Amino acid sequence: MKKHHISAIVISLITILAGIIASFEFHKLHVSESLYPSERLSSEGMLSDYFSGIKDTNGDTKVYFFDSGKPGATVFLAGGTHPNEPAGYLASVIILENLIPEKGRVIVIPRLNNSAFTCTDPMEAFPQSFHIDTDKGPRKFRFGSRATNPLDQWPDPLVYSHKPSGQQYSGLESRNLNRAYPGSPKGTFTEKVAYAIMQMIEKEEVDISYDLHEAAPEIPIINAIVYHEKSEDIAMYSILELEMEGLQFTPELSPKNFHGLSHREWGDYTKTYPFLMETSSPVQGRLRGKTNEELILNGVSENYKIAKETGALRIAYRDEGEQLEHRVGRHLSGFMAIINSYNEIHIDNTVKISGLPAYQELVENGIGKYLNN
Amino acid sequence: MKKQSFKIFSFIAISAILFSFSPEMGKYEQPILITSAGQSADVKLVKLLAKKQELNAETKLMADLSDLEGIKTLIIVPGFSSKGLGAAGISQQDEMTRVETLVKAANEKNIPIVMMHIGGNARRGGQSDGFCRLIAENCKAMIVVAQGNEDDFFTRISEEKGIPMESVEKISFAAEPMGKLFK
Repeated sequence: MKKHHISAIVISLITILAGIIASFEFHKLHVSESLYPSERLSSEGMLSDYFSGIKDTNGDTKVYFFDSGKPGATVFLAGGTHPNEPAGYLASVIILENLIPEKGRVIVIPRLNNSAFTCTDPMEAFPQSFHIDTDKGPRKFRFGSRATNPLDQWPDPLVYSHKPSGQQYSGLESRNLNRAYPGSPKGTFTEKVAYAIMQMIEKEEVDISYDLHEAAPEIPIINAIVYHEKSEDIAMYSILELEMEGLQFTPELSPKNFHGLSHREWGDYTKTYPFLMETSSPVQGRLRGKTNEELILNGVSENYKIAKETGALRIAYRDEGEQLEHRVGRHLSGFMAIINSYNEIHIDNTVKISGLPAYQELVENGIGKYLNN
Repeated sequence: MKKQSFKIFSFIAISAILFSFSPEMGKYEQPILITSAGQSADVKLVKLLAKKQELNAETKLMADLSDLEGIKTLIIVPGFSSKGLGAAGISQQDEMTRVETLVKAANEKNIPIVMMHIGGNARRGGQSDGFCRLIAENCKAMIVVAQGNEDDFFTRISEEKGIPMESVEKISFAAEPMGKLFK
């Protein structure tokens, strides 16, 4: 055998081996981590129960029901609209794994855009996962993408025209679930998922609904509660309650002409009171620097500290960093404050829950203490 | 007198002198028009505070000259919100023009302006400060949530222009000084 034949065989074998390893790694992206609902879980369903057009696709996702057995309001909580915003996802997981419904019922979908959990955003150097320490060892969570996996919806148009408003966005936004509402049964993959969510909200007669997010520290809408105009009183009372707890939230009114978003279309097309909450997450920002698991968990970024000190932009960044406990804690406190305010206004149809850690408890004890595994 | 005691005495004496020179917040009449400068939804929180104080107040995010008819006091809540501007369907420059026109008209009609900045540092810096400065420099009294004045932005304007300012720690604490202005 000639020398160059041997070289060719060796190179081919190395390539095949690399391909096999890569295929295992790629396959792992499509494996969902296990979640462990609290003992008070009543039942589980799938989003495709509300629209069969997404059955057996990556758009289908688990729906968890917590029914107290006592009549009251229905709450819907969505995490994972954008799986690259981990505090929104983790807050929904903590609620899922600790919730005790006492009156009314709560519906939780932790992986709202399930497809977007199966990839990361190209050219962003995001880690594929992060780990939370628990008493029983570290627990792994996926860090995904802002948008539906291109394997599920491709190609992107140059310009995405939202249906039915006709509002135009960049082509990439065609895979953004939070630009796809109210969706369409005959639309794109993402529009079908959005349609299924709208069907669920309507069929389950959801009274209060939450969409949990995070954003870069330089984004103007940060540490905020975005509310539909019909949710105004609830939002304002919540913000005052949160302020008394030492948590500042800014109220942001959902623009009537900004279409496709949950805080707009959930409210326009159903009777629910929608709320979208944002925390400040340096890992999403343009100035973040080294992008790794440490940044996801501790949220410490020297670049943002410097940027804040220049005063050139409003930067929502604490000098000690934006730790995941702090961000998740804000979501949990916001979740409770909105329920409390809703109850004060709707005394004939209240919802009561317990079992969730308060902001200070979460910050002091860490997230791991509230994870079941 | 011991050195420490002298320091404490001096501090109290200086504070008393400064306090005696701080201008009174004054008394204002109703009906009140509450509007925004920058279209932040903070104006809705001020509306809630006015309701708690049982004030005769109307809230209009996009108040214009015609809304000043019959108004005795104009409360302006400065703070930029891109979502708010989007909701109103206007640009930042459109909003600045509206607010400048309103302030000018209020001054011409001798309608006193009270500024309430309650949004903390979220409504400071960047695009908010243009609105904050315009209103602070043209008002007769300011109520400020302290977090929005950590850099003494409003304190400096208050001292330079001789405008009375009340600082509170939390939004809900702003209700009391607000009520006192009208009672």
